[in-house]
Amino acid sequence: MSTRKAVQTLVVRELVTLARSRAYYGLIAGVFLVSVGVLFAGGGAEAGYVPAAVDLLLPFELLVPAVAVALGYRTVTDDAQRGELDVLKTYPVPPWAYVLGVYAGRALALCAALVGPLALIGLYLSTQSPPDPATLATHQGIDSPALFVRFGALTLVYGLVTLALATAVSALAWSRRTAIVLAVVALTVVVAGIDLVLLRGFGTGWIADQQLTTLLAASPASAYRGLVFETVLYAAFDTETGYAAPGASAIGLFVWFALTVGVTVAGVSRAN
Amino acid sequence: MSDEHVLSADDISHSFGGVEVLEAISLSVERGSVTALVGPNGSGKTTLLRVLAGILSPTEGTVSYHGPEAEREIGYMPQQPSFRPGFTAAETLAFYTSLVDGDPESLLDRVGLAQARNRRVEALSGGMRRLLGIAQATVGDPPVTILDEPGSGLDPGMRQQTFEVVANLASEGTAVLLSTHDMTLAAEFADQIALIERGAVVETGTPQQLLDTYECESLQTLFETAFETDTAVDVAGETA
Repeated sequence: MSTRKAVQTLVVRELVTLARSRAYYGLIAGVFLVSVGVLFAGGGAEAGYVPAAVDLLLPFELLVPAVAVALGYRTVTDDAQRGELDVLKTYPVPPWAYVLGVYAGRALALCAALVGPLALIGLYLSTQSPPDPATLATHQGIDSPALFVRFGALTLVYGLVTLALATAVSALAWSRRTAIVLAVVALTVVVAGIDLVLLRGFGTGWIADQQLTTLLAASPASAYRGLVFETVLYAAFDTETGYAAPGASAIGLFVWFALTVGVTVAGVSRAN
Repeated sequence: MSDEHVLSADDISHSFGGVEVLEAISLSVERGSVTALVGPNGSGKTTLLRVLAGILSPTEGTVSYHGPEAEREIGYMPQQPSFRPGFTAAETLAFYTSLVDGDPESLLDRVGLAQARNRRVEALSGGMRRLLGIAQATVGDPPVTILDEPGSGLDPGMRQQTFEVVANLASEGTAVLLSTHDMTLAAEFADQIALIERGAVVETGTPQQLLDTYECESLQTLFETAFETDTAVDVAGETA
């Protein structure tokens, strides 16, 4: 039996677990309702694709990691608590394959939870008449479905990075209670913690002006925001760039992903 | 009983932090035999089984597998077998048989759970869950199967059934290593018994050899004699 087959088996188990969970459907419905509510409240629903992205960006900085944490924070902890990790050690399933299978399964579920509502919103936007130029101006963007797709892709990347962090939390936690505590800490760090530290550093002069945009890429939320700003919102305005460092932001997200996946594998390897 | 050793531990020790839980244990299990680890609570049985199963690494000494090449060399059932909720007994075994070759239906038959195949694991009784745990431990027909207290918490009938499953496994050539407090069943089904106390194996032999050594008429009496005696010596040593 190949390791590939083992990974596939683990992916399927995660998907079946979630497909049988009412909470998962509640999560998808929650994402959809929050997104639609934000859109209509902000006026982006009538204005077009980019205004919709503008309206969704800020709430998604919190909503996406919250969904990722909800999907991932107990994944490994529960298997460890049930003794299933011990049992799996007697099967030809190396720790990295277990982590890959579990993560990939949850990632597919996260993809459905984020892309599904965004796709429905995109469909709705496609039925609307062209935006009013005045509204476009207030939302600072040009309109194109491609830009909305790009926003969706970046949102998914942000979700996958925060899911990796949530999975790492579940591998480090030794009980459900500690998993919850660590998940809340991780969520706070991702959404606001690093930004606040950097802004504090900037305010006290410890961080120079020209360093700030690059250093903000160390925060997943800021990296996501920066990438959306630079590649979606200001895509058509040559003069409206430089608010973030897209290269550093992409690297920042990749480093968070690689680091947290590594931590998860190490956590599963030492679990007993 | 064959003399072929399939798993052996040589002078293994294991510590949790500064606490030495196992101390220089040497033990071998043979193909087609049942070896029972017997000892009071907290004597180190579970830790020893986990080290032998490869879940924990010994801090000293080595564990060697000498059996035939197999996709899964050692099967293991933890003390409290637990499974992912929301899946039926058959689906649970199908998951494990997807990791190594095996047929979930024949495994359910083997442990007498065929009629409960479509019952969700959270709806299984404690005994049925333990039987499902034994079925899981035998997925892929590992040459060595390690069961941590397979009879614990079961009614006498279910306990008898569990040990009969164990005896059948051994008769098919599997080396079974288990821990138990049930001396009657250990006497009936075990080919070899290892008495363990305070992290050390104090005696090993067939049930009859142990009875002769300790000059007891039953293993229950032997249990009380052997462990009470050793404990008293230990306590005297501590306070001396």
